[in-house]
Amino acid sequence: MAVLLPYLYTGGVHKHGLLIELMEDLGGYIIQKVVTGTEVNLIMLVPEKDVHIVKKLSDELLGVLMEAPLTGVEIAVVSPTLASHHLPHSACDVAEYLRHPGANTNMIGLARGMGRRVSLSMDYERKLINEHDIAVFSFGSFSDCITKKKPKLFEGIEIPIVVTGGPAELKTEDVPGADLYVGNIGRVSHRLRRTEEVNALESLNEGVSKIADNIRKQQAKDPLAVLPARVMKEIENQVPEIRTVLSPAPLTLQLDGLRVKLPYDEFHEKIEKLEFDEGVTLSELANISRSKMKNYILIKIKSKSDVGFAI
Amino acid sequence: MDSLETFVVESAIDSEKEFYRKIIEDNLASLKLAPAIGRIKVVLRPEDSLFQMAIILRDVGTRVTTIDIADVEAKPVAGEVVILIKKEQYIPELLTKLWGRYGKANISQPDRWTVAISTDRPAEEAAFLKEMMVADPRHRLHENLVEFAIRATPEGFRVRYHLYKDNSFVFVASEEALKTEWIEEAGAMLDELMKGGKT
Repeated sequence: MAVLLPYLYTGGVHKHGLLIELMEDLGGYIIQKVVTGTEVNLIMLVPEKDVHIVKKLSDELLGVLMEAPLTGVEIAVVSPTLASHHLPHSACDVAEYLRHPGANTNMIGLARGMGRRVSLSMDYERKLINEHDIAVFSFGSFSDCITKKKPKLFEGIEIPIVVTGGPAELKTEDVPGADLYVGNIGRVSHRLRRTEEVNALESLNEGVSKIADNIRKQQAKDPLAVLPARVMKEIENQVPEIRTVLSPAPLTLQLDGLRVKLPYDEFHEKIEKLEFDEGVTLSELANISRSKMKNYILIKIKSKSDVGFAI
Repeated sequence: MDSLETFVVESAIDSEKEFYRKIIEDNLASLKLAPAIGRIKVVLRPEDSLFQMAIILRDVGTRVTTIDIADVEAKPVAGEVVILIKKEQYIPELLTKLWGRYGKANISQPDRWTVAISTDRPAEEAAFLKEMMVADPRHRLHENLVEFAIRATPEGFRVRYHLYKDNSFVFVASEEALKTEWIEEAGAMLDELMKGGKT
């Protein structure tokens, strides 16, 4: 199976269709296309050996092609509540910055996550967070809270946990249950734009990319039965209703599956019966369930060892 | 007293002190409170879930009456009182009061600077209107101070005490039931500030 590398193309709308056609010819995938005015952002998976061809075309179109290590990763940015204490700064700034390298982020405000003794998360919230690939918890400025009180919000979270907070001197091992701690992103009431804040956001992106890479490496030992990007393409071809969905990412890729933003009751059978050229249907390769997010469909692809073969 | 002549934030850990100083500065700026505050002291004790704040306010100006912001003229023949606005910033408050007293139907605004009221007793009404209070900056300040205190406090600290008296403001917030000594400590902080704010 060809190795696919994630890239982000930024350039003018003019002739960007050539790039989409090229991607079809090469067997790569367009994950997301965002047109803003006269600019277009294409997030795509390019076959490793053909990167130079894509690079050449993007240079001809006077666009910029850069690596986007978080492509195909869905990240939950969790803030203790939705109050003005945590939003829009810094939680939204964190989410916005994570989108630069290609991630899809969802903001999740817990109902009762604030405070020290009284903070708690609900079963529903934990399940919703667990649907993602990585969770980023955005905490405040007191090291006492971050190390002693807030980690109880991690109970029941099975995906990698990244924590952001104010104190720069804390280390990852000081925060029980966290896979990574990034300082200098605490509670602020202004946009994060000072040097140390932007540096912190950058190191957050680096750390999260590393975690995503580790997950991919683990996956490579027992690969998925089918690439999520391929399922995405088949859904686009076989379920035309997906084109009428107005969400920015109607099909959101995850490292081990994807979220389809169509109502479950109406469409789950269609998705289950999705056919591949090899003659198998999607229900043989993946678990298809109702997502905790709205009424969407969540597809989690089984591994090769579970199914017995991969396509 | 200069604005923000004393600005102290105290906490056991230096870096946390700086974070909260920044949060307080940002919130003061967004609520445009900085010119109104003379001295401010904040004490943070996260291990007790405690936030204490004492503020001494500067003179915030007096009540604004109609005559301060406009010329009022009685027109007995036309049965009208005409208000010629000089300071536009208080128009919303003025109109609200006028609508309440005379009804919207009796008030017209031929242009931006003029408000005409039709009434049967122009002379008496004009005399009344001249002395009518339009806005009370102290009231607005009180609202802003409470908003500021809530924004600056850590969100989980939902048990709050506040006292606004003369030109001083004391605020204590915690996650637990408030202890009397915490409020007394905040009172002592205020006394310190009164004496000159040097701590």
